[in-house]
Amino acid sequence: MSKVPRNFRLLEELEKGEKGFGPESCSYGLADSDDITMTKWNGTILGPPHSNHENRIYSLSIECGPNYPDSPPKVTFISKINLPCVNQTTGEVQTDFHTLRDWKRAYTMETLLLDLRKEMATPANKKLRQPKEGETF
Amino acid sequence: MASLPKRIIKETEKLVSDPVPGITAEPHDDNLRYFQVTIEGPEQSPYEDGVFKLELFLPDDYPMEAPKVRFLTKIYHPNIDRLGRICLDVLKTNWSPALQIRTVLLSIQALLASPNPNDPLANDVAEDWIKNEEGAKAKAREWTKLYAKKKPE
Repeated sequence: MSKVPRNFRLLEELEKGEKGFGPESCSYGLADSDDITMTKWNGTILGPPHSNHENRIYSLSIECGPNYPDSPPKVTFISKINLPCVNQTTGEVQTDFHTLRDWKRAYTMETLLLDLRKEMATPANKKLRQPKEGETF
Repeated sequence: MASLPKRIIKETEKLVSDPVPGITAEPHDDNLRYFQVTIEGPEQSPYEDGVFKLELFLPDDYPMEAPKVRFLTKIYHPNIDRLGRICLDVLKTNWSPALQIRTVLLSIQALLASPNPNDPLANDVAEDWIKNEEGAKAKAREWTKLYAKKKPE
């Protein structure tokens, strides 16, 4: 398999995100549709059922640097959330979160959003007390 | 890295030894399927005197699948969107393995010479082009000066 360069990889992800081919539980798109470098993205995660996140929609910002997808993106929750892998002051997803720590080139923004959603639903995390809905970091 | 198909090696050699006038294409050292491209704006077009940077990638299935090409320089053109994506039949439905990198780049140069606002990718630009062609061309010239200026030799 040849290595798809960063920009063409991001165009593929953009197309998938725009056409809504991805799963219904998360979405993502360019933050600025004029940004030819495709660095800043918005993401949303629909809180998983049977958890304290049920029916909530979480907004995130995702930054794909020049070394993406060789290096993972930087992900920050905009909506306030109580999760061990999220810095409670900045909202940033900590780099030791397993998907970021064990990042592989084949991973996408979608992988990351879905893994964060799974993290919300783990037995240890699903009953964590959550801030009032609508608050932001 | 997987070895590069003979066809790609041949095409690359020819692009370097016998370049197309007004077009350069060079593979990146660390990825020989990924090319850095420049296209000079055609004479008598609003893009005249501009040099546009593009990137081109040959996917695994090339030449069964078309190359992927995108503008890196901002350009005001009805068939090129704000992210530099190009609407061109030979890159999509009219691709044939008989075409080459060279022919694709020539087609893009021809698209600069004759925009096609009736098959738009950038809808707002196409509308402008149809309603007020002179104004749209003036804006294209302005953007060429702003973003695609030739570097002094």
